[in-house]
Amino acid sequence: MTMAILANPATIKVTIDSREVEVPEGTTLWEAARRAGVEIPVLCHAPQLNPVGVCRMCVVDVGERVLAASCVRECQAGMTVATNSEKVEQHRRTLTWLLLSEYPEQEDRQPSADACELEGLGRRYGIVKEGGIRNGEFGKDGFAPHSEFPIPISKFDLSSPVIAVDHAACILCDRCIRACDDVQNNHVIGRTGKGHAARIAFDLDQPMGESTCVSCGECAAVCPTDALTHKPITLPIVPDERTTTTETVCPYCGVGCSLTVHSRDNQILLAEGHESPVNHGRLCVKGRYGWDYAQHPQRLTKPLIRRDDAYPKGPLSSDVAGNTGGRGSRRAGERDGSKPGGIVDYDEVLPAFSEASWEEALDLVGERLRAIRDEHGSGALAGFGSAKCSNEEAYLFQKLIRAGFGTNNVDHCTRLCHASSVAALMETIGGGAVTNIFADVQNADVCLVAGSHSTANHPVAATFIKEAARRGTKLIVVDVRRHELARFATHFAQIKPGSDVAFYNAVMHVLIAEDLVDHEFIQQRTEGFDDLKQLVLRDFSPEQASAICGIEPDEIRAIARTIGGAKRQADSPSARDSQPSTLDSPLPRMLIFWGMGIAQHSHGTDNARCLISLCLMTGNVGKPGTGLHPLRGQNNVQGASDAGLIPIVYPDYQAVGDSSARAKFEAAWGRELDPQPGLTVVEIMSGALTKDIRGMYILGENPFLSDPNANKVRKSLSSLDFLVVQDIFLTETAEFADVILPATSYFEKDGTYTNTDRRVQLGRKILDPPGDARADWQIICDVATQVGLPMSYESPAAIFEEFAGLTKNYGGLSHANLGPTGKLWPCADPQAGDGTQILFGDRFPTSSGKGKFVPCGYLPAAELPDDEYPLVLNTGRILEHWHTGSMTRRSKALDAIKPSAFAKLHPSDLAELGLDDRQMVRVASRRGEIELQAIADRSIEPGCVFIPFHFREASANLLTNDVLDPYGKIPEYKYCAVRVEAVDGE
Amino acid sequence: MQLIRQLMQLQAEHGYLSNDVLRELSERRGVPLYRLEELVSFYSHFRRTPPADRIVHICRDVCCEMRDKKSRDEFIAGQMDSIAVGETHEVSCLGRCDAAPAVAVDDQPTGGGSGLSGGVVRRNAQADPYAGQSDRYGTVRQLADDIGTLKSVCVDRLTAAGLKGMGGAGFPTGKKWELVAAASLNPPVIDDFALFDEDAKHPRKYVICNADESEPGTFKDREILSLMPHLVIEGMLLAGLTVGADRGILFIRHEYGPERERFEEELLRAREGGVLGSDAAGSGRAFDIEVFVSPGGYILGEETALLECLEDKRGEPRNKPPFPGQRGLWGQPTLINNVETFALAASIIHHGPDWWHAQGTGGCSGLKFVCISGDIAEPGVFEIPVGTTVLELIEMAGGMRNGKSLKAFLPGGASSNFLPADKAGTPLDLDAIRAAGSMLGTGAVIVFDETRELFPLAANLVAFFRNESCGKCVPCRVGSQRAVELLQAASAGPANALGSGQVPLTQTLDELNETLEQTSICGLGQVALHPIVSMLRHFSDEAPG
Repeated sequence: MTMAILANPATIKVTIDSREVEVPEGTTLWEAARRAGVEIPVLCHAPQLNPVGVCRMCVVDVGERVLAASCVRECQAGMTVATNSEKVEQHRRTLTWLLLSEYPEQEDRQPSADACELEGLGRRYGIVKEGGIRNGEFGKDGFAPHSEFPIPISKFDLSSPVIAVDHAACILCDRCIRACDDVQNNHVIGRTGKGHAARIAFDLDQPMGESTCVSCGECAAVCPTDALTHKPITLPIVPDERTTTTETVCPYCGVGCSLTVHSRDNQILLAEGHESPVNHGRLCVKGRYGWDYAQHPQRLTKPLIRRDDAYPKGPLSSDVAGNTGGRGSRRAGERDGSKPGGIVDYDEVLPAFSEASWEEALDLVGERLRAIRDEHGSGALAGFGSAKCSNEEAYLFQKLIRAGFGTNNVDHCTRLCHASSVAALMETIGGGAVTNIFADVQNADVCLVAGSHSTANHPVAATFIKEAARRGTKLIVVDVRRHELARFATHFAQIKPGSDVAFYNAVMHVLIAEDLVDHEFIQQRTEGFDDLKQLVLRDFSPEQASAICGIEPDEIRAIARTIGGAKRQADSPSARDSQPSTLDSPLPRMLIFWGMGIAQHSHGTDNARCLISLCLMTGNVGKPGTGLHPLRGQNNVQGASDAGLIPIVYPDYQAVGDSSARAKFEAAWGRELDPQPGLTVVEIMSGALTKDIRGMYILGENPFLSDPNANKVRKSLSSLDFLVVQDIFLTETAEFADVILPATSYFEKDGTYTNTDRRVQLGRKILDPPGDARADWQIICDVATQVGLPMSYESPAAIFEEFAGLTKNYGGLSHANLGPTGKLWPCADPQAGDGTQILFGDRFPTSSGKGKFVPCGYLPAAELPDDEYPLVLNTGRILEHWHTGSMTRRSKALDAIKPSAFAKLHPSDLAELGLDDRQMVRVASRRGEIELQAIADRSIEPGCVFIPFHFREASANLLTNDVLDPYGKIPEYKYCAVRVEAVDGE
Repeated sequence: MQLIRQLMQLQAEHGYLSNDVLRELSERRGVPLYRLEELVSFYSHFRRTPPADRIVHICRDVCCEMRDKKSRDEFIAGQMDSIAVGETHEVSCLGRCDAAPAVAVDDQPTGGGSGLSGGVVRRNAQADPYAGQSDRYGTVRQLADDIGTLKSVCVDRLTAAGLKGMGGAGFPTGKKWELVAAASLNPPVIDDFALFDEDAKHPRKYVICNADESEPGTFKDREILSLMPHLVIEGMLLAGLTVGADRGILFIRHEYGPERERFEEELLRAREGGVLGSDAAGSGRAFDIEVFVSPGGYILGEETALLECLEDKRGEPRNKPPFPGQRGLWGQPTLINNVETFALAASIIHHGPDWWHAQGTGGCSGLKFVCISGDIAEPGVFEIPVGTTVLELIEMAGGMRNGKSLKAFLPGGASSNFLPADKAGTPLDLDAIRAAGSMLGTGAVIVFDETRELFPLAANLVAFFRNESCGKCVPCRVGSQRAVELLQAASAGPANALGSGQVPLTQTLDELNETLEQTSICGLGQVALHPIVSMLRHFSDEAPG
C-alpha cells in the first residue's frame, strides 16, 4: 500500500504520451506523469496522501482490457501510457457528469476560499458553464440533475464550531478520511453505509461537533469540493483579490508550526499550514482557528493609568477578588441559560483607570521605577518577561532589567514549566535544550512519553509520535492520566501521582539486573554510573517500586525489556531508508519526550534526572532516533531562555556569576552588572509580600492565574508599590497595575521565535496594531530610556544581530539568513545549512565532557491526601486553550468549543462522593476553593482530580501548592490535596 | 477476522449492536469508533436496533421476483401469527433460487412454504471419487509422503487438465497454484488494521476457499459444500501443501447455515482422521482450516473484497495489481479458489487429466456443476459433462415450467449477458458461451419463458448490482444509481423519462455502461449494466415507449 520508494531503487523506463520517462521502480503512473510535466486530473488523490484510486478520474490507457487508475498503478518497465486519449477523456467526462449530477448548485453550498476541484473539471468538460450554471447534459442529450438527495440525514451538519459539513457536496473521495487517519492520526472520520447510500461519518455516526473530532481542520484543508469547509470566523471566506497571504509561524505552543495567514482589510480570515520541516503542513485547532483574539474588541489601544480613587490597590473584578458573590450571581445566570464565567467584564475593571498619552504613561513609569531603585536599591525591582514574545523582545527585556534596573531579578514562565528539566539537563549533560528534534521519532525503535499530554499540548508533535507508533515504533506512555496516546502505546503505565522516581528507578533496576545497558557508552561517555547502580539495585526492585507507583512488577520488567530489548520488526521502507542501518547499535534507539507531569513537582528535577539516567545508560543520546526532548510549552519558551530571561544566566546560558561572562556583557551594554543571581518567579512573588520587591515590570505574563496559590499572589500583587503591566488585554494581573501599556499582538510585529526543536523562525507582521498600541520591543526601549539606559533600534533585525553576536549558539544567524523555514541552533553554516539536528554526538558540554548520572531516591509529594483533603489534584492544559486563556478565550472558535471550567474525576469517585456527572462542585484545598462543573472521565486515575488552569472564574491555582523544587524552583502544580463536594443547593 | 467475529459474537449476545456495546468494544480493543461504524454500517448482517421477536427475510431478486408470492405471503403471515413483534425485510438473493420465492426466518432458510429442495445434485458421483465410500482423502494421503512430488503432481495434473477457476473469472487453476507456490513471503504489513491483529504480524501463506456465492440464480456451491465437503477439504489441503500454506479459511455466506454445519462436521472428521492438523495427512506439514462466516454482502465474493473483510475492513475491492497471489491476506501470498474449483481439483488430482478430458462431451473437457432456475420445471443443481447444451440442461431439469417455451436465458448468473432462445443450443463451455456473446460466469442458468417481459427483469438485475455496490468507486456507486433511476423513469412512461428524448435510452445506457466497464475497480461495477444493455441488444422492442 505504501508508495514509498526504496533506498536505492532500480529505475525503469515508461512511455507517457510518447515521452520516455525514467523513474524509480515503485513509482505510480500519476507520479511519473507529474514528474514528466503531465498533469493527470484527479479528485481523490493529493501528493501527501496514500493513493486509494476511488474517484477514477485519473484513469489512463495502458493497453489493457480496461483503463487503469494512474494514482495507484505502479509503472512497469516498457509500459506505454496514454493519459489524454479521446477514450480516456470521454470516460473522465462521464465520471465528472456523474458526480455533478448530484452535486449541489453553488448557492446551496457553503462558501469556500478554494476553488471547487469538481467544478473545475466540470468546466473542463463543458458541463459547468459560465457563472457555475450546469448545463445538465450527458452526452449530447440531457437529463435533469438528480432530484432527490439519497442520504436519509440532513444535508448539512453544522454542529462543529469550526467546520461545516455538507454531505450533499461530498463525492466520497476519502481524502478527509486519510487526512484524519494518516496525516493527523486522529481516527475520527470514516465511511458509513454502503453503495450509493455511503457517506462520511464521525465516530459512530455522530454529528461532527459531538464526536471525538479535535477540530484540527485537516479534513477541510484537503477536501476537493465544498463538502468540508472552514466556517468563517471574521470575514467571509471567499475569493477576493484584496486578500493577501503571509507566511509566518503559529503564535501558540512550542512546536512552532508554519502558518500561511490570509488577511484582508487589516483582518485575518483564514490560516493554513504550509510545508515545513516542523509540521509538514499540519496544524491543530489553536493554530488553524485561534487567531482572532488579535481582533478582539477588548484589545487595549491606549496607555492606562490607575485613577487615584482606585487606591489602595487590589483586584477589580469579582473573579480576581475571589468574591464568591460575584460568581454566585453568574451561576444564577447559568440557570437562566446564559453562559457562566468567561472573560473579564471590562465594565467592572476599566473604571479604575483613565486613558493617558504614551508620554504621560512612560514618564510615570520612569519616575516611579527610578524612585524605587534610588530609595530601596536595584534589588527592590524585578521583571517578568514573556515566552510569548520574540527573542528580540526577550533579549531587550533582560537587558533592560540587568543594565537599566541593575538587578538579575528577571524571570519568566519557563520557571513554571521546565525549570526543573533545564536544571537537571544542565547539571547532567551541560545543555538545557532538546538533544534531538521531535520528528526524529520516526527513526526511533522505542519512544517513551513521560508525563506529557502531547495530543493536547503539542498536538502537531503528537501526530508524529502517533505516526511512528503506527509504523512500528514501540510507544511507552507513562502518565497518571490515560490520555489519547495510550491507545497507540505498546505499554501504558498509569502510575500513581508523584511516583515517577520510583517507577523509572525500577525500570533502570531491571535494565541493569538483566544487563540490558550500553556498557560502551556508559564507560566512554558518562560518569557516576556505579552510585546510581548501587542505589537502584538496592532500593528499587520492581516489587519495591510497585508498592509506590502501582504498576505490576512484571509490567515494569516488560517495559524495561522493551527499552533494552528487541529491535523493531521490519518496517515500511520509507521509515527505513531515511536512516542508515543501525545494526551496530547494541540496543533499540529510544527517544524520550516529557512534559509537565515530570517537571512540575517539588522533586521535578529528580524526575528529569531519572529520565536522563535512563537515556544515558542505554546510550540513547547523540544518535538518530535517540535523545531527550522536553516538549516546550509556549511558542518561544526556548528562545526566551536562550535570550537570558533567567535570573542566573545572561543570553546563551552564560552565568551571571562568571566574571568573564559578566565583563563581556558589561562591555556590550556599557553598564556595571550585578554579580548576584536574581530571584525566580515564585520567589519574586513572595518577595513582594515581604516588601523586598517593591516595583515590577510585567510584560505579557499573567501571574495571577499562572502562579501557584493565587490567594497569596493576590496579596503579593496588591502589596507592590508600583506595577507596570504591558499586555494586549487587561489581564487579571493588570487589575493590580498602576500603569498598563498597550502592546502589539503576535500578528502585528516581526520577530524570531525558537521552537521546541531549537529552530529559530521568523514571525511576520500581518496586521496594523489597534489604536495607539506599540510593538513590545519599542515599549521596552521607551522604558529603558526612562530608567537611564537609552535604547534605540532600527528594527527587530538589528536587535537580533546584537543578541546573536553575544552568543555562541545563535552566532551567524540573522533575519536575512533564516529563510522561509528557519534554522536549528547551533548552525555551522547559516547560509546553506539547516542547523544541527542532533546534539552531543561526541561529547557533552560539561566540565569533564561526560554525561553525569545523578542517583535520586524517592521522595513523596509535599502535601499528601488525608481525611480532610482526600484527593490528589493535578492541574494542566487542554487542547483548545492556552495558558491563562487571555488569547484563546477571546478566540470565537476555541471559546465555542470549550467555554467553561471543569474538574474531571473517575466515575467511581464521583459515585462514591454521591455526585453526578456534570454537577457543579466545590473543590477545596488548604489554600482556597473554586466552584466548577464535575465531569466523569475514565482516563482519570481513581483518587485524582484534573482541573485545567485556563479559566479565571474557577482558577485552579487558587488551590495549588506553592512549594518549590529545590533545584529548579518550580512549583508543585501537579500535586496537592483537595476535597470535592457538592455546591450547596445543587 | 477477530474484530468482525467479535462484533458477530456481541450481536449474538445482545441481539443488536448498541452504541454502548460498540463504545465498550472500542475502548477494550483500542479500535477507533469510526472503524466500528464503518463495519457495522457496511455489512448487512449487523443491526443497530433491538431485533423483533421474529425476523423474516424475503428475497427481492430476479428468480424470486418471477414467482407467484401468494403462498409465500401466507407462510409469512403464519410465521408472524404467534409472535408479538415481527419484522420483514426484503434482502438480496438468499441462494435458494431453487426454492423461489425464498424466505429465511431468523436467519434459517425455509422453503417459504414450498419446502427446500436442497441436498440433491442430479447425475452426481462422477466428480466425487469417494462417492458411496466411507474412506476418503486417499489422494492426499497417497501423495503426502513426498511434498516435492505432491507439488509437481498437483500443478502438472491441473495444468494438463486445463481446469479454470469456477468462480467466474476463469483463471487457470494449475497456473494459480504454481504462482502462489513460487511467491515468497512479504514483510509484514504495518498499518492500523494489522496492529490489531496477531496474524498480521506473522507472515505466512494462506489458502482461502471462497464459499460466498451470492449472485442471483447461483446456488451450486451450496450443494457441493453440503454433499461433498470432504472433496473441498481435500482440495484445500492439496493446495496448502502445494503452495506452502498452513492456514486454510473457508469464507462462507451467513445464509448457508445448514451447509456450514455439514462442512464443520466433516472438518471434525478430517481432524480426527489426521487429515488436518500438525501432521496433515501424514505429510509432516501442518495444515488446518477454519470457517469464517461472512457478515453479508454479494461484493465479498470478489476475492479482494473478501480479503478486506478478513482483515476487518469494509469489503471494498482492492485496486489490482497486486493480485492476491502476490499480496493477499495481510499482504502475504494467498491462494483463493472457489468451492467448485477445489472440489474439481481434488477430483482431477485423483483421476488424472486424461480421465478429466474424457468426461466432457461434444469436444469439450471435464465436468461442471451448474444450477438452473427461473421458469424451469425442476430447478436445481446438476453435475454435467462440459459441452452439454443449455437445451439439454433444460431437458434434464424437466423442461420449461408449465410447458411454456423458452424466450431468453442467462447462462452464467446475473452478471452474464442475456441470450435469446435461439442460442440455447450453445454448449455450456467457457469458450462456447463467450463466443455466443455471454459468459459461463458462475454456471448459473436462469431461463425466461415466452410470457416474460424482460425489461423489468433486467432492471431488477441492475438494481441488484446497485444494491450490492460497495460504493468505493465513483462509476459503480453513482453510475449504477443513475442507471436505476433512468430505468425506473423509463418504465414509468415516456412522460416521466429523465431524458429529453433526443438521444435514445439505449445510447445513454451504452455510454454509461462503457464507462462503468472501463473505469470501475472491480467486476461488479464492470458488469452492473450488462443485464439491461445485453437484453436490449437482443430484444430492442422490449424497451418501454
